[in-house]
Amino acid sequence: MDNILRIIMGPEGGPKATVIPVGEYAGIGGRALTSAIVSKEVPPLCHPLGADNKLVFAPGLLSGTAAAMSGRLSVGCKSPLTGGIKEANSGGQASQTLARLGYAAIVLEGAPKDDNIYKIFINKDGVEINLDNSLKMLGNYAVVEKMKAEYGDKIACISIGPAGEMKMCAASVACTDMELRPTRHAGRGGVGAVMGAKGVKVIVLDDSGMKMRSPKDPDKFREANKNWVDGLKKHPVTGEGLPAYGTNVLTNILNEAGAYPTKNFSLGQFAGSSKISGETEAATETTRGGSATHGCHRGCVIQCSGIYMDKNGQYLTKQPEYETVWAHGGNCGIDDLDAIAMLDRLDDDYGLDTIEMGATIGVAMEAGVAKFGDAQAAISLVHEVGKGTPLGRILGNGAAVTGKAFGVERVPVVKNQALPAYDPRGVQGIGVTYATSTMGADHTAGYAVTANILKVGGYVNPLTPEGQVELSRNLQIATAAVDATGMCLFIAFAVLDQPETFQALLDMLNAFYGLNLTGDDVTALGKSILKNERNFNTKAGFTPAHDRLPEFFKKELLPPHNVTFKVRDEDLDTVFNW
Amino acid sequence: MRQIKIAEAANAANLRLTWAEDRFEDFAELLQRGFMLKARARSSIRDVLCGQFGISHEYLDQRINTIFLDGKPVDDVDSATIGGGSKLALSAAMPGFVGAALRKGGFYAPMRQVITHVEGTESVPGGDELFVLKLFNLVVKELGPLFLDSGIWLDRRDLESFFNSRPAEFWSGCLQCLMEVDELEVDSLHKGKWLIESPLVYLRIHVVTGDKQ
Ligand code: SF4
Repeated sequence: MDNILRIIMGPEGGPKATVIPVGEYAGIGGRALTSAIVSKEVPPLCHPLGADNKLVFAPGLLSGTAAAMSGRLSVGCKSPLTGGIKEANSGGQASQTLARLGYAAIVLEGAPKDDNIYKIFINKDGVEINLDNSLKMLGNYAVVEKMKAEYGDKIACISIGPAGEMKMCAASVACTDMELRPTRHAGRGGVGAVMGAKGVKVIVLDDSGMKMRSPKDPDKFREANKNWVDGLKKHPVTGEGLPAYGTNVLTNILNEAGAYPTKNFSLGQFAGSSKISGETEAATETTRGGSATHGCHRGCVIQCSGIYMDKNGQYLTKQPEYETVWAHGGNCGIDDLDAIAMLDRLDDDYGLDTIEMGATIGVAMEAGVAKFGDAQAAISLVHEVGKGTPLGRILGNGAAVTGKAFGVERVPVVKNQALPAYDPRGVQGIGVTYATSTMGADHTAGYAVTANILKVGGYVNPLTPEGQVELSRNLQIATAAVDATGMCLFIAFAVLDQPETFQALLDMLNAFYGLNLTGDDVTALGKSILKNERNFNTKAGFTPAHDRLPEFFKKELLPPHNVTFKVRDEDLDTVFNW
Repeated sequence: MRQIKIAEAANAANLRLTWAEDRFEDFAELLQRGFMLKARARSSIRDVLCGQFGISHEYLDQRINTIFLDGKPVDDVDSATIGGGSKLALSAAMPGFVGAALRKGGFYAPMRQVITHVEGTESVPGGDELFVLKLFNLVVKELGPLFLDSGIWLDRRDLESFFNSRPAEFWSGCLQCLMEVDELEVDSLHKGKWLIESPLVYLRIHVVTGDKQ
């Protein structure tokens, strides 16, 4: 990964590709690289859909190697949804393929002067950029089929659906999985709209003839990777719970805790939860001839995903994960798993973030556009978005825009980005992360529960508000660092409980790059990523007032525990003091 | 689920099923929703699960990683006590930050301090009462057969609605069905013809491998 591929979309005579050495960005990957490029090269006050914004695709530091779980692709830009910096990441095959082709990043720059759309083909021999208006307004599934017909089935695709072309703030970037289906998405923040603004419909990657990236010290790397895999397999979460039920195993748990946001965050428990839980979903998949244990890319040993078949045993979509099942399910009062799976399929095809769409439909239901629990109405609303009707244009721009358009007060967003599936009144610590994350409300921003191993920031008394703030800070630092490696965040539990598994991750990085990284270096990396992102956001006009949860979380009691969010604003303002 | 008095348990209708092991997971949804068991009131969670139902201490301490009592995460299974009508839910370890926060006695437990279970002062054990138990994820697979075999109480309407919403394949798991002492055709359960007056059903399911026993 010694080079960066820069593609300028705007010049006379059509787009131009240049391959340049990685230079000043050497030694970083994933989120560290996307955020470094965006914060250095994108004017913070630029229009996110304008020529000055850049869209960066970066594999992680260990992507393209034999390291298990290393296939996350980071996608970064200035976000049209939040107005701040964005890194959204995705599983699928794209990250491994791009890394094996030798690219540390692809950067899309400028903007075409017309409304043509392009496809980009990258293989070992170079880069081809072709105008292809036959792809216009196709869904992701149809685009991938066309690419398969044209380039064969040894490819990975990064594409957008109609939502990206219409530059909607909820538009995602799709990556194909092992079966060459566009089921993995860099969902959050409207990264698909930025790809649409660049006039790029699809990037096709073919790594035929390329080898796996080779480590500096192959023996040590092999041993560290073995310890890493052993650690993941022996832990009950990564070795049993996630493979058996996927992330949707959380539905019953959050519901029981009374922290499962229901009917647009008005309740903490959903009566239909057992009908849409991970346990029920896994049993449905297995009975219909699908699968409840499946990886999103080669080299995943946890395999939290699955294959969801319809009632007739035909493929419908990949296993909808917890956030999706919640957003389209309990959050909208819907307890029909088949309808939720259909909504997941439509989101993937139109190219939409499932969290943003589910939260948006919840707000629309609160406004009376449809009734809570009406699954067919929810499906119709997603079709409105895909077709770009006037109502669809409002919904496709997310929960904040929809709340404004319909005069709804209870709109669950931070920095305009919809909250994920954990009510911060029940689990207050996650509210600190939602409020202060550089990304807008984002559960993955504080996901890497490794902070007690890294011991960032010394002693924490977690019983005080400052303690909660300190814990959130540590989680955000650790997560930013994991996002730079290309590792799937679901490694977090094994790393939390088993220090030797965390050490195996460090050993892999050290053996691969010939380094001597320690836990402190990982902490420093996480801090530097967050610092870049905070600086960008400050220059883009963000102030402490943006690091807040919506007012209703402080005022409305959440049944059944009847609690409000209690962390004080002045404590939130100290999250990034280190 | 309404609160049921212990006296009603004695009048419950007895339904006994013999079920094929490979279709046992069909009951997972029922076990997630919750069922009733008898326990000595105000006994600790440990006393009830290990002392009265024979679950090993090791399993409770290591496998059952996340516990809720009346919807509140529990950190100490020795001090939290179960009373009549209590709702207890048991789960294995959960992923992610929130999974870590809800875990019993975990490092991130303070992040959900506002909903944590706090034991009251009344802790003198009393007579038997019914409480509700919910089993989630890996714990359903591992403890479900034990509770179904020893017998659980269910509200008749909940059981009827469970049976009525089952797909056709579900019934292929049913090898034998006894209501009190009479053998019933599987069809009667399937088609709602088993209706009884008792508001409670005491259900026992014997799981077998292979053919009818
Ligand atoms: S654990 Fe899940 S999300 Fe992570 S790499 Fe594997 S399948 Fe993809």
